[in-house]
Amino acid sequence: MTSQRDWRGLLFVAPFLLLYSIILIFPLLRGLWLSLNQVDLFGAGHFVGLGNYSRLLRDPIFGTSLVNTFVVTLMIVPALTVIALALALALNRASRSAAIFRGIFFSSAVLSVTIVTLIWRFMLAPDAGFLGFVAKAFSAEPLPFLSDEHLVLPALAITTIWWSVGFPMLLFLAGLQQIPEDMYEAAALDNAGRWTTFWRITLPSLRRTVVLVVMLQTAAQLQLFGQSQLLTAGGPSGASRTAVLFLFETAFGRWELGYASAAAEVLFLLILAVTLTQYWATGQTKGARDGR
Amino acid sequence: MKRTAAILLAILLGSCAKSDGKTHIYLQRFFGECGAEYGGSTDIAKAEGECGIITTMINRFNAENPDIQLDVNVVAWPGYPQLTAQVAARDPPDLVTMHEGVISDYAAKGLVEPVDGYLRAAGVSPDGFTEAAKQGVTMYGHIYALPWDTHGGLFHVNTALFAKAGLMRGGKPVLPNTADELISQARQFEQRTGKPYLIQSNVGDPAFAARNLYTYMIAKGAVLFPDAHHIRLNTPVGVEVAAFFRRINAEKLGSQNMDTPGAIAAFVSGEGGIYPTGTWMIGSFEQEATTPGRPLYKNYAVYPYPHLWGEHVEFVSGHSWVVPTRKRTPQQRDAIARFFKFMAAHNYDWVRTGHIPAFKAVLDDPRFKALPHRADIAPLATIGRPLPSNVQRQNAIEGIVGEEAAAAFTGQKSIPQALAQAERRVNDLLSQID
Amino acid sequence: MAADLRRGRLTPLGWAGLLIGAAIMLAPLIWTLLLSLKNNGELVGHSEAALHGPYTLQNYAAIFGNSLTLRWLLNSTIVALGQTAGVLILASLAGYGFARLDFPFRRTLYIFVLVGLAVPSQAVILVQHQLFAWLRLHNSYPGLILPGLIAPFGVFFMTTYMRGIPRELDEAAMLDGASRWTIFWKIIMPLTVPAQSTLAVFTFLGAWNDYWWPLISATRSDMYTLTVGLAAAQMNYAQTSGLGYLMAQAVFASIPIFIIYIIFQKQIVRAMAGTAVR
Repeated sequence: MTSQRDWRGLLFVAPFLLLYSIILIFPLLRGLWLSLNQVDLFGAGHFVGLGNYSRLLRDPIFGTSLVNTFVVTLMIVPALTVIALALALALNRASRSAAIFRGIFFSSAVLSVTIVTLIWRFMLAPDAGFLGFVAKAFSAEPLPFLSDEHLVLPALAITTIWWSVGFPMLLFLAGLQQIPEDMYEAAALDNAGRWTTFWRITLPSLRRTVVLVVMLQTAAQLQLFGQSQLLTAGGPSGASRTAVLFLFETAFGRWELGYASAAAEVLFLLILAVTLTQYWATGQTKGARDGR
Repeated sequence: MKRTAAILLAILLGSCAKSDGKTHIYLQRFFGECGAEYGGSTDIAKAEGECGIITTMINRFNAENPDIQLDVNVVAWPGYPQLTAQVAARDPPDLVTMHEGVISDYAAKGLVEPVDGYLRAAGVSPDGFTEAAKQGVTMYGHIYALPWDTHGGLFHVNTALFAKAGLMRGGKPVLPNTADELISQARQFEQRTGKPYLIQSNVGDPAFAARNLYTYMIAKGAVLFPDAHHIRLNTPVGVEVAAFFRRINAEKLGSQNMDTPGAIAAFVSGEGGIYPTGTWMIGSFEQEATTPGRPLYKNYAVYPYPHLWGEHVEFVSGHSWVVPTRKRTPQQRDAIARFFKFMAAHNYDWVRTGHIPAFKAVLDDPRFKALPHRADIAPLATIGRPLPSNVQRQNAIEGIVGEEAAAAFTGQKSIPQALAQAERRVNDLLSQID
Repeated sequence: MAADLRRGRLTPLGWAGLLIGAAIMLAPLIWTLLLSLKNNGELVGHSEAALHGPYTLQNYAAIFGNSLTLRWLLNSTIVALGQTAGVLILASLAGYGFARLDFPFRRTLYIFVLVGLAVPSQAVILVQHQLFAWLRLHNSYPGLILPGLIAPFGVFFMTTYMRGIPRELDEAAMLDGASRWTIFWKIIMPLTVPAQSTLAVFTFLGAWNDYWWPLISATRSDMYTLTVGLAAAQMNYAQTSGLGYLMAQAVFASIPIFIIYIIFQKQIVRAMAGTAVR
């Protein structure tokens, strides 16, 4: 009887596991194998061991793309977290107007990356863009957001923050509603001011959510692709080329499948490392605090 | 359960082949999407611009050949990442527009078919091709494409602004004969009109910078590709050419921060003296020049890139139609041959866009000679120089060179640094080819 | 809740901040809408013309009259619905298996699935492309739907939710002689409707907005999804300068997703609340 039950259980998970193994695990392993070969998109190639990886280390274009990726992530994640938290605090009310505002701030999150980049291209372009006119209305020179090497990464960051503020805001709202009543009542009894309440009660209780938001957003922005490809095509001269765009161009523009696979593995390791570091770092301070 | 069944049914239906009795040919091209304007029109003579003319030509072919259906897929220029993905997916189109420089990539791997057979069946003889066209499509002992045109950069001039700048003589614009003359004329232009001498599409248009670099290096006799695996850019000649364009930008003699649509819009609105784009814009700009009330009305002239030093040559490329390798029915092969015959016969219509014909007969055709501005740009047929056809990955190379050249021209990188990086990246790429 | 209200009271500065924020959120959307309502010719070189009339619906007429945009809408719908149905089925089955049944290697297999949560798409997408090429599945609906079905998040989500359902219900049914399948279908599934609707909304949104996979898999323009088609239109813009038409396509592409958003607002909010608790 027991073995019969055991066996039938597998039937339920088998369909998913089958697809999962074929479409995720197999490509993961084969990608690793391909990264050890010099092979083009049409199959011709030979084994080169770690040759692709050493070439990546020496490749300034890949290096620049990694730097760009990290810089843009640093531009986005802190600002996004702070803005989303501020919005959640301001809108954590049961009023009609709060509901409308919440709807407005979440509306951009349902759009696809191609819609968002199309909208923002015609906000940021100096000649045809909306910000261009605003500048001219104030007799200022429109900023060349999409073509100046120092402005392209901020342009990507602005677009992404506008696009992504909705989800973290909702996460924070949910987190705020978890905070028990009595904590606030106790603070009120002690005549605690708004700032004190915020720093001593609200923020610590939101810790878990803040960590979650930062981790999710960091992993997501390290994989930034669509905005870089569509808004600036990685330009000017690679100043806004992100790691994933590098990958895409290497594979489908230059046909270098092995090299692109190696780049993908490197990026994968980096994301894993960053995520684990964040997890560990926040775990450590929590432990230290609790121990006090 | 019912919903799942319905969805499965929809999926199955969506994957079904068409069955209308026609021979279907999948045709993939760039040149833009203008279905909203031209729709199903078959009036080729009335169409203007690359997009309009190719759309009406294909519509006309479909109308004249009711047993064939050309299914058209319009891709963003140049369409090679897409084509690559399709070829890698073993599902390529039947006919594709391809730059002549790119053919060798696919031909070397047998990914496109030799078209000698189709040309024979269509009654089109390679002897009728122009020299440039024949060179561009012949490699490895076979002809791999139907040549379509030869195209290169041109100086498109706003003669009204030139008049204001005092740069017109005898009804024709004064163009520089040396590099210094260009600088001084540009300064004069800026002073007298308050607008930039050159309109430049510096943003998102690597072909623009690459074209400029290639042309003026070849003019000085530089050998860009000493062999199929190396490029030479970081040479005294390369530095000189890059420095010249850097100067133009440093002194603000050219517009900044424009992408291609912005540059086109600016030239058409009379915001600059010269737009160094190519043959493909003649048709559209000529349309502006014949429309009363437009800034370019009767104010448009066009010439090959000026001879600033060395030899008077220009980097050119060419469009062609290739046939990716795949299994085909005899009816499909016949359809392709008929398409080739149609296109060869209509080459005159295509060159109304401004490109140079691929067929000698059209070059000699009085209708062609009578087209506006063709006499002025005729030299392009003889001074045009393509890149060596044995160099592969030319599209990727143009992207790299254009990107680095643009950085050198705008001052984003120092010239030696940009040229050295371009060299390193291209040599790296070429060394990966087995 | 009185305490919340007290905390939420805003200073005038706070209000100002909110209003400015809302304006920044809405301005790009309104600008896009205005551009879409202008004649293309008027906008060439002068897109500020969008700030004043005359306005026209001709760009939208062009979409309905003569373009592939409608086909793209159909493709997006089929792919998104197909993927949603597929994920719900597979994730529910697997979730029940992991949550309720005991079979050999259950723990190992579950960890095997969770590991997939850490794998970013670019690590597998190139080989996925090769695999689907070998299977001749590109430019087809199955080709667009299948990759989305293996998302480990769905299984993780359903497993966690099902674990929260009291076992007594199962046991009562088993005493009555019900089979595993009957318990799954008649008891567990109806109780997971909230989770199902949340997962459905998430999967639908993800499938609808997916960019990279359809970009390299659907290379024929009649198989584009709305998301990819809009990217192609954006890149083609350089050669046709139809700015009004381009923006009309963007607006058109946004409408279905906004409708879904408005209808399913509650599910989305609840889903976020659920995630935060973990």
